[in-house]
Amino acid sequence: MEFEQILFYVFSFWLIASSLAMVFSRNTAFSALFLILSFFSTASLWLLLEAEFLAITLILVYVGAVMVLFLFVIKMLDINDSTLRAKFTRYLPIGIGVAVVIIGEMSLVLGSSQFGLAEVSEPIRHAADYSNITELAKELYTTYVYPFELAAVLLLIAIISAITLIHRVDSRAKKQSITEQVNTRAEDRVRLVSISSPNDGRRNNDNS
Amino acid sequence: MMGGETMITLSDYLILSAIVFCIGLAGIFINRTNIITLLMCVELMLAAVNTNFIAFSYFMGDQAGQIFVFFVLTVAAAEVAIGLGILTLVFRNKGSINIDVTNNLRG
Amino acid sequence: MTMENIYLTIALSPLIGAMIAGFFGGILGRKVTHTIAIVGVLISTALSFYVFDTHVLNNGDIFNKNIYTWMQIGSLNVSVGFLIDNLTSVMLVVVSFVSLMVHIYTIGYMDDDNGYTKFFSYISLFTFAMFMLIMSNNFMQLFFGWEAVGLVSYLLIGFWHHKESAVEANLKAFLVNRVGDFGFLLGIALVLMYFGSLDYIEVFSDLSVINGVDIFDQVSVITTICILLFIGAMGKSAQVPLHVWLPGSMEGPTPISALIHAATMVTAGIFMVSRMSPMFELSDVALTVVMLIGAITALFMGLLGIVQNDIKRVVAYSTLSQLGYMTVALGVSAYSVAIFHLMTHAFFKALLFLAAGSVIVAMHHEQDIRNMGGLYKKMPITYATSLIGTLALIGFPGFSGFYSKDMIIEAVHYSSLPYTDLVYYAVVVGVFITAFYSLRMFFIVFHGESRVDKHTEEHLKESTSSITFPLIALAIPSVVIGYITIEPMLFAGWLDNAIMVSPRHSSMSELSSEFHGAASMISHALQTVPFWMMVAGIVSAWLFSIYKTAWADSIKKRFHRIYYILDSLYGFDRFNEIVFVNGVKKLGNLLWKVSDMGLIDSIVVNGSAKMVRFFGSVVRPIQTGYVYHYAFLMIFSLLIILTWVLFAGNSPQLKIDF
Repeated sequence: MEFEQILFYVFSFWLIASSLAMVFSRNTAFSALFLILSFFSTASLWLLLEAEFLAITLILVYVGAVMVLFLFVIKMLDINDSTLRAKFTRYLPIGIGVAVVIIGEMSLVLGSSQFGLAEVSEPIRHAADYSNITELAKELYTTYVYPFELAAVLLLIAIISAITLIHRVDSRAKKQSITEQVNTRAEDRVRLVSISSPNDGRRNNDNS
Repeated sequence: MMGGETMITLSDYLILSAIVFCIGLAGIFINRTNIITLLMCVELMLAAVNTNFIAFSYFMGDQAGQIFVFFVLTVAAAEVAIGLGILTLVFRNKGSINIDVTNNLRG
Repeated sequence: MTMENIYLTIALSPLIGAMIAGFFGGILGRKVTHTIAIVGVLISTALSFYVFDTHVLNNGDIFNKNIYTWMQIGSLNVSVGFLIDNLTSVMLVVVSFVSLMVHIYTIGYMDDDNGYTKFFSYISLFTFAMFMLIMSNNFMQLFFGWEAVGLVSYLLIGFWHHKESAVEANLKAFLVNRVGDFGFLLGIALVLMYFGSLDYIEVFSDLSVINGVDIFDQVSVITTICILLFIGAMGKSAQVPLHVWLPGSMEGPTPISALIHAATMVTAGIFMVSRMSPMFELSDVALTVVMLIGAITALFMGLLGIVQNDIKRVVAYSTLSQLGYMTVALGVSAYSVAIFHLMTHAFFKALLFLAAGSVIVAMHHEQDIRNMGGLYKKMPITYATSLIGTLALIGFPGFSGFYSKDMIIEAVHYSSLPYTDLVYYAVVVGVFITAFYSLRMFFIVFHGESRVDKHTEEHLKESTSSITFPLIALAIPSVVIGYITIEPMLFAGWLDNAIMVSPRHSSMSELSSEFHGAASMISHALQTVPFWMMVAGIVSAWLFSIYKTAWADSIKKRFHRIYYILDSLYGFDRFNEIVFVNGVKKLGNLLWKVSDMGLIDSIVVNGSAKMVRFFGSVVRPIQTGYVYHYAFLMIFSLLIILTWVLFAGNSPQLKIDF
């Protein structure tokens, strides 16, 4: 067997194993960690498929940011695991049954008779100085520049919405209201009062 | 280079991603524990789909698949952020993140 | 002015008088109002005489024209139109003259009533409606006039609306009239269905269309139409069994009893049947029915007049009986005799009612004759005119009633319809009964010792001239009009261009061959049975009322069962109350409880809501609220779709070679 094939089978084994473990794990934190493992396996597979940039991005963005976020939330919220396991086994058979059937059918569709070597030819192996990122950039900034910009806007919206959802106004905090400050009028702040002064304004009683 | 049956064909990758996809799918309705597990299974499904795209892109020689994965990654990150925000709100209002507490739309 | 304008003026001038009196009566005051109303009717009366002169005396042409088209639906034209022939002219004279007398009479009678101007407005309105009925040339306008006179009769019977008995009576009158109108409307509908038109001339000219046509192959159409139309006449002219409203209508003021329930409205039925003579002549069955019902009414209502103690009720039952006589005349195809009797009856019956009203007013609205007596000394004019009216009613030779009543009896004698023997006996006995109750009332009220209480007796005097003038004016025709008009009207063809008699019904032709002139009828009278019946009636009345009143009491005790039957008016009112009123109430209750509450409310309305709620409760639990349920359903559906697309269905994507 080729080295590639060995790699493929190892990585796919770990992928499937860790995803199964994630689904069946009792501890939520363990599930998250198993998911991280599956992402690593996926990234390795993508390296095999000559998509280095995306593999690294997967690790950096997904595992580095998204999964860390997951772990934050898991540790922040007090999850009582013991009471949550009660109904697990009731739906196990039917869930597995449906999943197996879907896999079977999809295999029939995606099997070698449709997508095997006879239909899809061997891929072109690139040379060692092949830069995936350059190729990606060539496509991204020319043909797909519009969706690129839109993706940026999407991220902005996500930021805003996330903040808006969570933000709690603390009524005890003292804040400035800039609008009010700018809209004040003189008469709200200053009042001129006339007071009669003793001795007609002079300091002492004599007339000098 | 050797050719023939010992190569990894496209269909292998596709079947692999199908399997992972269905594992995620089963995970959604097997586990009744909490919402976080639900979100993680969704992430798993997305990862499987991405693999699918990249496999096609590699075997067809078209870069569009990888571009698509790029965008899927972006959107998935945004979705996770907001999803976890909603999760926090649910926890704040209901005191638990068991899936059963989100049954307000019950008929 | 043209004849058309004359006819329009005849119809419209009382209407204008009614509207002015009705709307502005309060502002104008009593004198101006009654003057305007009377002038309105006076114009109509004068013009009616002119019309009579033109058409009857000078043989004018028949006027038949549509004045105003109300609606045109397809080939059906419904319009306001006038048909003026001799029959119409005669009726116009009668109605307008009696109405004028009643208008003048009202000045004195309603003097102390608050609704003075309203009353004038109503009787002028009635006159307008009656004119429209008489002058119409199609069924629709006839029906309009029919309903309008019924409406005004309702308003006038309940004129004193604070009296509960008056309100009950006017409702009864309206409802019973309604029953008759229902039959009438069905008859009109049948006419429309088979003839396609509502115009008189169009219908009458085409009667051969329905010769031999049967409804459901059972009953001939023309018989059905005639009987249905006669049901309408039964309601309006108060024949048995739809007679129950007429005695109750005495709750209204006396002037309207004279106008509406003696002379004009109740004769509308008689007029209508005469107008429809071409149709009635085609159906012997219908004529027999008409005759029999008339005979029953004539005989049995007369019997009831014997036991009444209210002065107006005696005259009311007398009216019912005389209407029966007119109906009998119609039944034996002697239409002109019926109209003749209608005319004479209008005069003397209106006279009798007005005289009764004069007595009532003088007695301070006391109406029970057992509290009267010996009034002839105090009220000479009323006494004299009452005597004239009574003699005319019983058929004393020479007076107008004599001619008309005898003609009816003779016509029955010569008729060839079945059961005419029974009818003949009925009308002859009826003469005795008529004489008996009329003279009984006359003697008890005007003769004998006075039973009036002291206080009223002091104020007892003759009524004012506005009351006595109409009495005198009506007494004159009661005497002479029979003598003058019998020959022209019956035998010289006054009504020929309006009434058609088929040759099969030979009463009129036999009558005319037997007729030797009005004067010879008087001399011949001593040899006829009705004359001696009348004499017997006068004598018996004198015996029982004046000579030995104790005999009346002893007979009453002896025949107390018969007295009971008569006193309860043959139980018609009780029957109607038990069967119809209670029956309708029970039916209403049943429909309310079972059909409305049980069926519609519970099953349909509430039931549909319950059904919806039930289905909702079945479907609602599908929404469990759990995300994983929804997800599972989605995935499962996906599986199904996948399987379907791949393997089953019309074009499976995957061909499995096993």
